[in-house]
Amino acid sequence: MYWEFSRKSFQRSAAYRFDVWTRIAGNIMFLFMWGFIWYALYYGKETVGGVSFQAMLGYIMISQALQGIHGAGAQLWEIQERVRTGDIAMEMLRPYDYTTRMLFSDLGSIFFYFITAVLPLYTVLFLVLKPSVSLTLAQMGLFIVSAVLGFLIRFCIEMTFGLFTFWLIETGGVEDVFYFSISLFSGSLVPLWFFPGWLEQVAHYLPFQAIFFVPNSIFVGQLKGPDIFNALLGQAIWLLLCFVILRLVWHRASMKIVIQGG
Amino acid sequence: MSLIEVNHLYKEFQVAKRQAGLWGALRSLLRREYLTKTAVRDVSFAVNQGEMVGYVGPNGAGKSTTIKMLTGILVPTSGEIRVNNLIPYKERQKNARQIGVVFGQRTQLWWDLPTIESFELLKQVFQIPDHRYKQNMATFADILGLDEFLNTPVRQLSLGQRMRADIAASLLHDPLILFLDEPTIGLDVLAKERMRQFITEINRERGVTVILTTHDMSDIEKLCRRMILIDNGQVMYDGELVLIKDLFGKERVLIVDLEGETDSFSVAGAQLVKEEGNRKWLRFNRELTTASQLINRISEKYEIKDLTIKDTEIEEMIRHIYEKGLAVYEMNSCRIENNKF
Repeated sequence: MYWEFSRKSFQRSAAYRFDVWTRIAGNIMFLFMWGFIWYALYYGKETVGGVSFQAMLGYIMISQALQGIHGAGAQLWEIQERVRTGDIAMEMLRPYDYTTRMLFSDLGSIFFYFITAVLPLYTVLFLVLKPSVSLTLAQMGLFIVSAVLGFLIRFCIEMTFGLFTFWLIETGGVEDVFYFSISLFSGSLVPLWFFPGWLEQVAHYLPFQAIFFVPNSIFVGQLKGPDIFNALLGQAIWLLLCFVILRLVWHRASMKIVIQGG
Repeated sequence: MSLIEVNHLYKEFQVAKRQAGLWGALRSLLRREYLTKTAVRDVSFAVNQGEMVGYVGPNGAGKSTTIKMLTGILVPTSGEIRVNNLIPYKERQKNARQIGVVFGQRTQLWWDLPTIESFELLKQVFQIPDHRYKQNMATFADILGLDEFLNTPVRQLSLGQRMRADIAASLLHDPLILFLDEPTIGLDVLAKERMRQFITEINRERGVTVILTTHDMSDIEKLCRRMILIDNGQVMYDGELVLIKDLFGKERVLIVDLEGETDSFSVAGAQLVKEEGNRKWLRFNRELTTASQLINRISEKYEIKDLTIKDTEIEEMIRHIYEKGLAVYEMNSCRIENNKF
């Protein structure tokens, strides 16, 4: 039954093609921005901290690709809006679980975006820019597993943050905290290995690094051998934890619904 | 065993109290004070299978809040609700399968999908068997004229179309109970009439139990035999609509337009309820005074230019109940829940 939501959301994405193009344009602009920033930082140096520019390029490219995919799902502000307008309450009149159905809807739009935009675009980019990526098939498989885990973790966290709207009237602060944490601690922009020691320590104890940093690192070969399995285990634990928290928050939130009108 | 049972239901909301001034604003950062607003207080009633009940009250009376608790969206503060033996908020999903809900003020269809796809999605969501879905769609398309906009996205529908789509959507899965919250709000006369006919038919042909909230009395007059009147979160009256009409049915209002000086107008046997210059509204009991007696008495002293006689409207009756309290009407079979108003 939930797959029907994926299908519908896939169709809906297809209906808004312009949206796909603008997303792609934005995504590429950021890719080039970060590309040039790293290019400038690497200027005149072969490696920084033992990482070559080509590897770094691979890192930001896969990071942008993943971010593009994540961005095709429902955004934090959309969830907040649904809570605020009471649309979420209307969905509680249905015989399904709201968060599960949101996940499946996201899968639909993401799948559309992935096959029509991200996959072809980044295939070309990788062929043209030739970052140093030497993946074995097994590593590729592990990367995919890790990317999926990262996606699910991000989904749980974003949903949880969105549901905080049930308790708060003004949610700008929540949004700021979320976006700050996800840009800094997830390693989406700057890999954690460039962090000063103490900050890296902090980041390692937060769930955000499990979203982008782990799959990215596997992709560029910074994580190898048994380290990969440790990282995957870490992701699985974070996912479990975030999922439990999401369920708890959802349970509390659904007991607390207040809708306008007598 | 009734289909719907509500016992001593309460719902309280916490409303944050705003503090005045800058100091108050700063203080509320640290500690916020709350006011408790009771939207529903000690409401009890029972509804049997196949009944069509009007749940009436002025704006903010607690109608929608009650409906939302019956549908499982809101959690009661205290009291008990059973809908076909389920506790709605505890078994939301199960409850959702046996009820259909239409909120006049918001749609439950998916905004950016063509209407037909919303229906198809509901078919999957409720796992409606193919043949049943087709049957229902054919019936609803026929009565509600859905065909003209099935391929239009919901956001582009007119209010009347949207309401028709919404009510069809709420009945696709053959619910036992249909909750309608202000189903005719904002509709024009024709659309209202169409909606009412459809609701009557659904109730009669399919035996769907209907609970209808509205503040449009003509909805209730046309649709329901039983009325639950609620104000300030409390049940004021629960009983046959006919009874309340009978009670007030003896009363008529005579409206006269007079000539000349009418400042100290009064007439025996009638009560002056309203006046606008030379137009007077006179309420009288037709068992005690006839209209012609009254007109005779008036024309002895004044020149009558024009006159009309009206039944008391239900809205007027409700105002009476508010004014006089209910103890007087504690008679016959009507169950009065609360008479200490």
